Amino acid sequence: MATASHQRQRSRRRPGARFSAFGLLRQGLTRADWPRVWRHRDLAGSYDAVIVGGGVHGLATAYYLAKNHGMHNIAVLEKSYLGSGGSGRNTAIIRSNYLTPEGVRFYDRSVRLYEELACDLNFNVMFSQRGHLTLAHNDSSLRTMRWRAEVNSLEGVDSRVIDATEVARLVPQLDMSEHAHHPILGGLYHPPGGIIRHDAVVWGYARAADALGVHLHQGTELTGIDVVDGAVRGVQTNRGTISTPVVVNCTAGWASVIADMAGVGLPITTFPLQAAVTEPVRPFLDTVVVSGSLHVYVSQTARGELVFGAAVDPFPSYSMRGSLQFTESVAGHVLELMPALSQLRMLRQWAGLCDMTPDFSPVMGITPVDGFYVDVGWGTYGFKAAPVAGETMAELIATGKTPDMIAGFDLARFADGRLVGERGAAAVGH
Amino acid sequence: MTSSHRLPPQPGEVIDRAQRFTFRWNGRPYQAYAGDTIASALAASGVRVLSRSLKYHRPRGLLSADFNDPNCMVTADGEPNVRAAHRLVSPGMSVSSQDTWPSLRFDVKAANQLVGRFLGPGFYYKTFMRPQRLWPAYDKVLGRFSHGGYAPTAPDVDRYDQRYAHPDVLVAGGGPAGMAAAVAAADAGARVLLVDEEHHLGGHLRWADAEGLEILRELRAAVQAAGIEVMTDSVVTGRYDGNWVSVLQRSVPGVRERLVKARAKHMIVAPGLIDRPYVVGGNDLPGVMLSTAVRRLVNLYAVKPGERAVVLTANTAGDAVAADLGRAGVDVVRVLDARQDEDVVRIVGRSAVRAVECSDGAVVDCDLVVTAIGWTAPLTLATVSGGRAEFRAEAARFVPVGLPDDVSAVGGIVGDGSTDQLMEHATAVGREAARRASHRAVALAAGVPHARVTAPADTPAVAIPDLRPAAHPMLSLGRTDGIVDFSEDVSAKDLKSAVREGYDSIELAKRYTTATMGPSQGKLEGVNSIAAVAAATGAGLAETGTTTGRPPYVPVSLGALAGRSHQLLRRSPLQGWHDSHGAAPLYAGSWVRPDHYGDPAAEVQAVRDAVGIIDVTPLGKFDLRGPDVPDLLELLYINKWRKLGVGSVRYGVMCAEDGVVLDDGVTGRLGPEHYLMTTTSSGAEATYDWMERWLQTERRQWRVHVTPVTSNYASINVAGPRSRELLARLTDLDLAPDAFRYMQVRTGAVAGIADCVVWRIGFTGELSFEVHVPAGHGLHVWKALLATGSDLGIRPFGIEAQRILRLEKGHLIVGQDTDGLTQAYGAGLDWAVKLDKPDFAGKPELVWQQMRDDYLRLVGLQPVDGAVVPPEASQIVEDGTRIVGRITSSRMSPTLGHAVCLGLLAPHLSSAGTTVTVRLPGGGSIQARVMPELAHVDPEGVRLRG
Repeated sequence: MATASHQRQRSRRRPGARFSAFGLLRQGLTRADWPRVWRHRDLAGSYDAVIVGGGVHGLATAYYLAKNHGMHNIAVLEKSYLGSGGSGRNTAIIRSNYLTPEGVRFYDRSVRLYEELACDLNFNVMFSQRGHLTLAHNDSSLRTMRWRAEVNSLEGVDSRVIDATEVARLVPQLDMSEHAHHPILGGLYHPPGGIIRHDAVVWGYARAADALGVHLHQGTELTGIDVVDGAVRGVQTNRGTISTPVVVNCTAGWASVIADMAGVGLPITTFPLQAAVTEPVRPFLDTVVVSGSLHVYVSQTARGELVFGAAVDPFPSYSMRGSLQFTESVAGHVLELMPALSQLRMLRQWAGLCDMTPDFSPVMGITPVDGFYVDVGWGTYGFKAAPVAGETMAELIATGKTPDMIAGFDLARFADGRLVGERGAAAVGH
Repeated sequence: MTSSHRLPPQPGEVIDRAQRFTFRWNGRPYQAYAGDTIASALAASGVRVLSRSLKYHRPRGLLSADFNDPNCMVTADGEPNVRAAHRLVSPGMSVSSQDTWPSLRFDVKAANQLVGRFLGPGFYYKTFMRPQRLWPAYDKVLGRFSHGGYAPTAPDVDRYDQRYAHPDVLVAGGGPAGMAAAVAAADAGARVLLVDEEHHLGGHLRWADAEGLEILRELRAAVQAAGIEVMTDSVVTGRYDGNWVSVLQRSVPGVRERLVKARAKHMIVAPGLIDRPYVVGGNDLPGVMLSTAVRRLVNLYAVKPGERAVVLTANTAGDAVAADLGRAGVDVVRVLDARQDEDVVRIVGRSAVRAVECSDGAVVDCDLVVTAIGWTAPLTLATVSGGRAEFRAEAARFVPVGLPDDVSAVGGIVGDGSTDQLMEHATAVGREAARRASHRAVALAAGVPHARVTAPADTPAVAIPDLRPAAHPMLSLGRTDGIVDFSEDVSAKDLKSAVREGYDSIELAKRYTTATMGPSQGKLEGVNSIAAVAAATGAGLAETGTTTGRPPYVPVSLGALAGRSHQLLRRSPLQGWHDSHGAAPLYAGSWVRPDHYGDPAAEVQAVRDAVGIIDVTPLGKFDLRGPDVPDLLELLYINKWRKLGVGSVRYGVMCAEDGVVLDDGVTGRLGPEHYLMTTTSSGAEATYDWMERWLQTERRQWRVHVTPVTSNYASINVAGPRSRELLARLTDLDLAPDAFRYMQVRTGAVAGIADCVVWRIGFTGELSFEVHVPAGHGLHVWKALLATGSDLGIRPFGIEAQRILRLEKGHLIVGQDTDGLTQAYGAGLDWAVKLDKPDFAGKPELVWQQMRDDYLRLVGLQPVDGAVVPPEASQIVEDGTRIVGRITSSRMSPTLGHAVCLGLLAPHLSSAGTTVTVRLPGGGSIQARVMPELAHVDPEGVRLRG
């Protein structure tokens, strides 16, 4: 397994660029500018690898390629600004209490990388491991939770079924009355889960990748992929042509459109996923609260806002406008859980795009086109997987060998009938 | 406190001096008049500081004196984040400042100002990383930076509501242009809804001169005469596809807030213009106000806002405010005219304005600085409607362009002019809106989808007079750095340094500094943010662009969005009986059901030995009619249906297109073209959707009517060896074994109730009859069965007993014994899959599955130690921790006196006689044996068919 112990690059940063309390002090006293977090670069004529998508997956892949495998001549292409897609639209929940052993191992590695990420990137991503609580409103949910807890504990992940009393102690705001429409019978508690500053993860990876020589190209849209004799030769962009033997598709929303440029079909349907945030109030909700039956999840950010999310919209669409119906239903569900919050005000709603695969699991690895890799189909769980996805994709690209951890997520599984069974834990389990 | 700053009566004032009362501010009593806002009442008493800023806890006072004012978020009667400059004060109201400790006057967090130079934008991304183990403590400290009031902890006693509206024309904004447009549309025959955020219609005319006030009186009279529905203290919060418009209505009697959902045939956006703050050093000191704030205070609330004022003006509003101040007795010590290149260099003071440093070098002492440096058009409603914001450099503001056919704009966001010109333009737009709305009504009546209706071509369009923004100097960032975003405490310096750090687009700078992300949503600070980014990048405002406007237009309470609770808790007509007979409730999906009546094992015994009855009303039930029903059944079920005769029922299994088991149930043929389908209780809605999806999209030619009848019947299963004897006492139907065979259906009277559907099936493994009774008579039949069967040893039984019975019999429950990957063969349904059918949902996948041998299989399992029941979801492991299956159902069998289970198991372990290791959740493990059949009791089905 590729780890941080791989050949550590000497920092290429300029002096004074390191972030620390001392740096803040010095900068405050001298009033000097901080160095740029990443540089503007000219588009080079050739790169060893071109990564499509300047979100957290693409940036993480670039970072680990450079850091763990010594590949520095890499470009990341982003058609808008860094983190403008799903990376900046998700609800920033991190957890590893999945359902299948493969899923649990994979996301557990991601959580561990997230725990180290601030130090690794020298950028505080503010990973707040405040605990993740999934509520059970009926006995079939409790049964599935016991299943998850069992699989989790077999894989060494801290996750356990708790009773209603403990739920009430963790989140006193919950309506625990028996006569609630959806009475709370217990829950699945996952202490290492939590929330993170999603933008900070994007920026941290981008800054660290830039420092290792990776070229980040914002405002650069992929318009074509050159495939000759079944192998990638280069790409076309709105800013010019690049020759490269490796193209990595790290996009979401348009993943199938990009893959189509290489003649690769993906079993992906795109659905909007909506979210909303309230005005800030003083901190009162420490735990991330999820209700699968009510299709809602709630957390409170360090800024004091409550962040709400739900399941993906019921029909496929590329619309990112958000609907009134979503706000009504999410507000209703939140108030069922916490009736005292009716005076809080919803400040903003938005939507992101989720590429759903038939088995609620990503598509990672090689494709029939030599040199064209995919890291797509991330549905509603892409953000929490970014570090491990980047790490394993980098290993695959650098060594040519698919790491065991992602072998089950290969594109060929749909043709071979080897689907992954994460529907239960991934569908709404944020 | 006395109202020492109250002026004599003003011509346009909205306060009622006859009604005077007391309220409390931070514990002390203050006087107010009816009509006062919290802020105007406090201002009238000389209170200048209303809040502290987010980061540096600098004192803050009134800035815009309306809903958007970022400096007056307070807690009122326990409600957090109340806009004090909008909320009307009421007698006895208790108002307090937020996030100030120990007090508003002396706030310890103001010490943050001393270290402000170290707390630049995003400072928290740069530190608190090492040592890693201290991060949780840092995390807690950073949480203290969150602003705002406390979330209430007690349930809200107020009510919220929703309603629908179907206006022809909805006008968002009740200033002169909005009122004129509304009147014109109504005069043209349209049904009009006029919505305004303020407590009174009129917009800026409310603080106009005598002539303006006269126009306002006429307009209000015209609105009333035209029969327009008016909602004041209400605001259009969003516009969604198909002109689906959300309106937050406040001040509704008996209801705190109401969400009005309007399907408008046409919407007119008329929000007016927002006075833009000037970004200059000291611009957030209490005593720095926008010209509109001062005009509101003086003219609407008769409040004298200061003693010595300096006015910076770039337009007529600034000129007018100077006149207002003079009339109010304020000493206007200096008027700086930006059009003459006069400027404010810096505003000086500590806890309030003390002086102004002017561009000519003069330092002028004052306690009030009023700015009128330009206008911002609030474009959120226009842009969420599909329009774009286009920058007009000569006018120094953005305007809306590219609005769809069913949305128009009037008033200040379109352009400038005299009141007459604005009203003339709005009148034309209002008439055109009515014309388009009437065309749309005709098109919609003809069935044309909303999205395809375009502007009518058959009748001539109303000529719209030209209205464009007037030339205006561009003022935004002054000569020194001031605050850009007041609610987030972000300065121009912060934004510029963010850009220099590399966050050099408006979106990145916004996200990094959080500018425009606070409760005022960018209305006041949006353009200044763009200007600050543009200044640092060297680009113009047009190239820098705007951030994406998102609904809602103003924050909306969760209570209003949720409305009254419509959550359904479904109860069978027998549930009251269950409740009164000691049934333990079980919440399953949307239903509450009887889990058991105290002793599930005894209930099982009664069914095995005598007779029991269970309420199975929640079973999904669908009435299917039409000649093509057999085609539908053949398509949806994996087994065969074409030969099902009238009077017969069959068990069926449905799979999704990936071959995964979706649902199961019994369907019976009641007549030649009449069937009754049952589904699982939890799968009823999904099965209905699934059927309708096929019928409405793929098989539209089929003549099938599907009617959900789940709640039309009370369903009672009569099970046990004496069930026939019992039922025979209550019906004339011939129940003899040869006359009414296993898997047959009859219709007839039971206990005197006609039109009951009775079918003979056996989920419990016993002889049993399922009786579907017209719901209103369910309780009667239930009671009749109990009374009639008392000598037979009858007992009611609940879900728990049913689960034990079906587990003993090895009948699976979809979703419990199967999961999201279990295809039909894995569920042991080999016998049901008919691959020789031409087609059915899931067939290709099942053909494939049949050829493979790599899937988990459902098997019967019994622990070697029959006294131990492994909990459901226990994992079956191999080599210590490798998961090779799991227990899906488990119970102690009262019939066998031995634990019985169903489980999904890897194929190499699934043959009968294999012993597997089951890991118990509490620790430890047990051995279990794979059984030859799923059924533990009566595998041959003798009892069932008896």
